[in-house]
Amino acid sequence: MSFIDWKYPFFLAAVAVLYWQLPLRGRHWLLLVASYAFYASWDPRFGALLLCSTTVDFFCTLALVGERRPLRHVLLASSTPFAWVSLCHLGSMLAPPDQASSLVAPPLAWVATAALPLLFTLAYPILWRLESNRRRLGFLWLSIGTNLGVLAFFKYFNFFANSLSNALSFSGIQAGWTLPTIILPIAISFYTFQSISYAVDVYKGRSNPARSFVLFAAYLAFFPQLISGPIERVGKFLPQFEIARIWRIDHLHIGLRLLLIGCFKKVVVADSCAILPNYAFDPATPLNWSWALLGSIAFAFQIYGDFSGYTDMAIGSARLLGIELSQNFRFPYLARGPSEFWQRWHITLSSWFRDYVYIPLGGNRHGMTRTLLNLWISMLLAGLWHGAAWNFVLWGAWHAAILSLYRLPGLARMESGGTGWTQHFAVPLMWIWTLIGWVLFRSGDLTAIARWFNGISTMDVTGALPSAGAWAWLSIHVLPLFAWQLACRRHGCESGLIHWPWPVRGVAYTLVIAAIASAAAGEQEFIYFQF
Amino acid sequence: METPPTFRAWITRSFLVVAGVLIIAEGSARIFFGRSFEGRFDYGYHPNAGFDDSTRGSVRLFRAGGRRFHPQTYAADPAPGVSRILVAGDSVPRGPSLAASYAKQLEDMLNSAGAPAEVWNLAVPGYGARRIQITALRALRYKPSLLVLHLNDSNEFEDEREYRRSQDNKGWHPRTWLMKSLVFRRLHEAKTERIFWEWLPEKVREKSGLSDVDAEVAASAKGETLDRWNARVHEITRETIAKAMAQGTSVLLITQRSVVKDSSGQLSFVESRLEEFAASQTNRHVGMLSMRSVLQAENLSEMFADGSHLRAAGHTRIAQAIRQKLIELEPRSAVR
Repeated sequence: MSFIDWKYPFFLAAVAVLYWQLPLRGRHWLLLVASYAFYASWDPRFGALLLCSTTVDFFCTLALVGERRPLRHVLLASSTPFAWVSLCHLGSMLAPPDQASSLVAPPLAWVATAALPLLFTLAYPILWRLESNRRRLGFLWLSIGTNLGVLAFFKYFNFFANSLSNALSFSGIQAGWTLPTIILPIAISFYTFQSISYAVDVYKGRSNPARSFVLFAAYLAFFPQLISGPIERVGKFLPQFEIARIWRIDHLHIGLRLLLIGCFKKVVVADSCAILPNYAFDPATPLNWSWALLGSIAFAFQIYGDFSGYTDMAIGSARLLGIELSQNFRFPYLARGPSEFWQRWHITLSSWFRDYVYIPLGGNRHGMTRTLLNLWISMLLAGLWHGAAWNFVLWGAWHAAILSLYRLPGLARMESGGTGWTQHFAVPLMWIWTLIGWVLFRSGDLTAIARWFNGISTMDVTGALPSAGAWAWLSIHVLPLFAWQLACRRHGCESGLIHWPWPVRGVAYTLVIAAIASAAAGEQEFIYFQF
Repeated sequence: METPPTFRAWITRSFLVVAGVLIIAEGSARIFFGRSFEGRFDYGYHPNAGFDDSTRGSVRLFRAGGRRFHPQTYAADPAPGVSRILVAGDSVPRGPSLAASYAKQLEDMLNSAGAPAEVWNLAVPGYGARRIQITALRALRYKPSLLVLHLNDSNEFEDEREYRRSQDNKGWHPRTWLMKSLVFRRLHEAKTERIFWEWLPEKVREKSGLSDVDAEVAASAKGETLDRWNARVHEITRETIAKAMAQGTSVLLITQRSVVKDSSGQLSFVESRLEEFAASQTNRHVGMLSMRSVLQAENLSEMFADGSHLRAAGHTRIAQAIRQKLIELEPRSAVR
């Protein structure tokens, strides 16, 4: 069930109405049930994986603050993934034959979920026997290791095994192994990162852990931001779960407004723009400079509309429940340089890498060489986070290169505002870098990247003519968004229509509704769901 | 104690603007454009769409909803001594214009030959057997003396697709609630009707699966699908003939033949099984005319505008052939 599925408004409305009627504990239970139901609507089996992360993180983070729970609690909680897999299996027996197969867990899932209570119940008391500092470190690494292990196996196992196989065959050795088919669980990159930051923040004493398992499970699986973020920090996010929020009318107004704007960005801008890169990046398309440029610009708006639209809907949905999520986008295409771009694009991910990778590696505290090294490591990992493919690594490397380049005094001055003529070129220049980055991101492989650069270099003037209609198509879908953003820019909030006079707001909303209803493209899946 | 928000707080002024505009738009659509919206979302499966006989004694054929009749107005009952002929079919009999269509040319020929007649052009682009039947059966109430059915077996894909569309938002499933609004439905249909799509090059549309061409070609490539479509054309045409005859209306079947360029660049006819079927239906009251037999002696490039559609000259030849056929058709056809 995606945010643009017809079922979602009914689901959200039912949860919101019920939520405000319940006492605090009831709300936690409601959010837990609703979130797991929402997650299970994609693939029920992967709920077990989420429960694994939840269980391990919950007990490990409590241990970080010296709180030991009875072993029977540990055993009971760590048995929930196995119970979930069993429940799915039971469901497969009752489900119609065409749906039954999607409920049957593979043997490995049975083994892993059965092993978890045994191993964790064994490891838990052993770690408690260690001296305080080593114990804390042990529990921290158990938590991080579990999350990274899950992520590495489901997302990167085949990628690295394939890469190794290719490297071996390049040196004349045939690997000869057959790789298993591993389905990437939806949302895995998001909730594992949220779990890791949770454990680290508790370890560093920046936040207190959740004391209730239900509360923590609801926090980690919170359905508006579970699938594609924003990646929340415990310090801001968890306290909102711990107190009984009071209903305010602006929860409704802001929530609905964000849902509407997010839907517009996704359905009207992203899905309509998607048609052009789908064509331009197709290997069968004869690519000239006009189509190469059009495809990359359209993709820039597609990915922006898609992801920021999703984020707006996530923030709007959470707001209906009285919970405020972090801002994830702030006019990224108006950035004057790469540092500013990453302060405006997928803000919660870039700040995650800054706080949990770049700064722990030393940040910029140990000279230029070390700073650049840390920067490159962070950006390569950020690229890899997006997908297990070399084009994402290349995308990360490209941004690392630009970030390094902007350390040069002239460019750094330009990014910080510039003087004279340079200030007018900062945004267009950054646009060019960003577009090249998106080409690397969108192209599936190196051949496709080479094809794009070959296409853009064919400076044939007549090449623009066949795509004139497509340029017009792009303009009608992007310019309204652009105009909207420019109007909102001075208030610093991407969806900030609140400062407009009410008749203008009313007309704007009506046009947005009409545009959504008539959105000319077919529904496309959210891009970031694959990450 | 928290005081509950007042009604004023719940409903913002901008919300009132949105609600007001939408309510006014919906009300206007229903009040002022109700007639043209009739059958709008039935895509040819609404029996009354496009027929307006609300004005006493006359029937007006107009563009309504999915039906795009050439605008025509006739008396509801045929005048004494005037033969009434109805031509039902797809874009081929519809013609490049009403005046150039063989229906209108036939009317002119008959009238100038001293045989007063009115020939209604009821052809609508893309109509297959099922929708032609709906049009023909609705038109039979205007007491025609002859029904001309232009048979073509290449529109069944579109008939099926349009039927699915007509059923998409029927019922009261929550998914369809918003589509109960004429305004929302009309805006939503802009998507499927590709109002903006024309801006995009055809290849882009095809790549995004937005063109029906690929889907139709894929469907047409399957032997069993073609057999099913042919069987349906036969069955429905048989039914239509039976209903027309039961009302005392003679039927003339015109079988479509498309053309294709051969390796030397010459046009030649594509094989079709329609003639065999039409021949099997002929009797004293049911005649048959094959486009192939009418046009084979002609220069096909002067007759055809593309693979299927005729130029005005092609329509003239068909009209002449029908005129000739009417003379042979006995006994019920009043037209001589």
